[in-house]
Amino acid sequence: MILVENIVKTFDVKNAAPVRAVDGITLECKPGEIFGLLGPNGAGKTTLIRMLATILAPTSGSASVAGFDVVNQAQDVRQNIGYLTGSASLYERLTARETVRYFGSLYGLQANEVESRMNAIFAQLDMAEFADRRCDKLSTGQKQRVSIARAIIHKPPVMFFDEPTSGLDIMAARTVVKFIKQCRDEGRTVVFSTHIMSEVEALCDRIAIVYKGKLSAIGTIDELREQTGESRLDNVFLKSIGMEAE
Amino acid sequence: MPNETGPNTPIATAARSVNRLLLVYQKEVREIFRDRRTRFSVIISPLLITPLLFALMGKMISNQVADAKAGQLQVGYVGSPSSALLTNIQKSDPNVHWANIKEDEIEKTIKEHKIKAIALLPETMESDVAADKTVILKIFFDAGNDSSNSASNRIESLFEQQGRQVVAERLAKNSLSPELATPFKMQPTPISSGGTAALMILSSLLPYILAISAISGGIYAANDLVAGEKERGTLETLLVTPASRKDIVLGKYLAVATVCMTSSLLSVVGLLIPFYSRLPVYNWLTRGGGLSLSPVSVLSILFVQLPLAVLFAGALLALSTYARNQKEAQTYLGPVMILVMVPSMMSMMVKADSGLSFALIPVLNATLVLKQALSGAVNPSFMIVAVLASMLYAGIALTFAVSLFQKESVLLKA
Repeated sequence: MILVENIVKTFDVKNAAPVRAVDGITLECKPGEIFGLLGPNGAGKTTLIRMLATILAPTSGSASVAGFDVVNQAQDVRQNIGYLTGSASLYERLTARETVRYFGSLYGLQANEVESRMNAIFAQLDMAEFADRRCDKLSTGQKQRVSIARAIIHKPPVMFFDEPTSGLDIMAARTVVKFIKQCRDEGRTVVFSTHIMSEVEALCDRIAIVYKGKLSAIGTIDELREQTGESRLDNVFLKSIGMEAE
Repeated sequence: MPNETGPNTPIATAARSVNRLLLVYQKEVREIFRDRRTRFSVIISPLLITPLLFALMGKMISNQVADAKAGQLQVGYVGSPSSALLTNIQKSDPNVHWANIKEDEIEKTIKEHKIKAIALLPETMESDVAADKTVILKIFFDAGNDSSNSASNRIESLFEQQGRQVVAERLAKNSLSPELATPFKMQPTPISSGGTAALMILSSLLPYILAISAISGGIYAANDLVAGEKERGTLETLLVTPASRKDIVLGKYLAVATVCMTSSLLSVVGLLIPFYSRLPVYNWLTRGGGLSLSPVSVLSILFVQLPLAVLFAGALLALSTYARNQKEAQTYLGPVMILVMVPSMMSMMVKADSGLSFALIPVLNATLVLKQALSGAVNPSFMIVAVLASMLYAGIALTFAVSLFQKESVLLKA
């Protein structure tokens, strides 16, 4: 469902050489699996996800998402993905219902279709209590549930989660984790970027360790344990990027 | 479970694109008008600013008239208090009080503003007048002080009035007609349908106010719509929807243009209030066939004000797109406001019936048409060139904003 072939992204820097934020990554993610992108801040995870979500254009290489090329069929790609990031906020002066309705309409859903899907999602995420409250009056956890509803309203076959639990308390993070598992169970392709080892262990079927824009290792957690000879995931990570395990 | 994107015929694709553009537009307008600051700057402020300004001017004018009526003026003279000519002059205007000043105190007295102007009466004044000679009168005043200037003028006119009487007596003494010394007598007669001094002031000031209203209403909305969205991270969630960047930026542009136009229209409505409300505080405007605002003038104002609003919307959106965040957008706004204010202010100095080349200067062109409309003399060809030029500049600003929106280095810097 996601095929990435030797993808590169460079950024121009004033009075300096261009930075290779993503440097020749190749990978594949399948439907019904949670694919983890594990790496420290600045490793290139967000840039990779942004290229797959067509927000950024690759400098070279290629990628296809849900069967569509990210450069030549960008609109088709966007029609088939959901995107949830921990850094994004909501439109403060819209209510939860208005926000989800807006995004549903942008995905081309008919009004009655948006309403029925929205009601189902609101019931599932227990949002009825604050559905008509403005987003600036919601708690962090409630906002995150609105973001989930916004990302899933068009039932995308591919979901991108870019550090979706950052800044969330344990209860709100739990809702997100539960939602990610549910996406897998429904047969979606899930890409999940994080630097939190426990989340990777709890969620990911396969992981790619990304460091300085390059792919350091790829496989299931067990495969990576075997390759590195380490049992703790933080040590697996450190060894994969060429550092000494603790 | 792939999603359907619908048929891909050019018409279907275009229809979907327009639909998304309108969705963005509707959402933005709804959100903009839910903001209290925007409601104030777009609705309340333009509606109130002109009526309040006119009311204030009316109050000031009536105060000045009242002051002039009760105006007591203290002036001085150096010379003999027993002069018959001086006594005549004193009697001719009881509101002017004359104080006798010593010659060596002239400078000091005026400088200390005790007395506004002083006439130096020569000792030989009476005998020179009697001998049919010309008397040289010096009037001392502070040229840098308005009230001292007007006191000097008052003394001058009192002596000129007295001089005319002296001339008449001299002519009569020689059995000559007074008309001999008056070959022309001027009678300036303003036409009844013409303007007044107040109109001149207003027609200079109003275009400035209307131009500023058109841009100030859109400032907050434009900043919030792109720079604000970048800052909050909401733009990213919009960029991953099927809406193209062009759909998004055009939807946002239409929203800002709507805000600028609303602000412009309401400032014109605000302009109508003083003329049609018949409130006593606005009587001064229409008194003595003064200022009037015909439907043609109102239409002309709208005709140029709207393209101006469209131009401002494009410029504001380009600025907001370029900025990393709202704070940076505010910083860029300073020079832009100067670029708007300078041509608006220039309209106060440039004649309303200037050459067609002035119709090409952005902002100034619109303010000059407003000036023409307010003085009841719209030049149609000037107006058409001005509107076309404003639309062209609006197109350039919008194209720039759209091209900025395609650049990921600009769009994603936050």
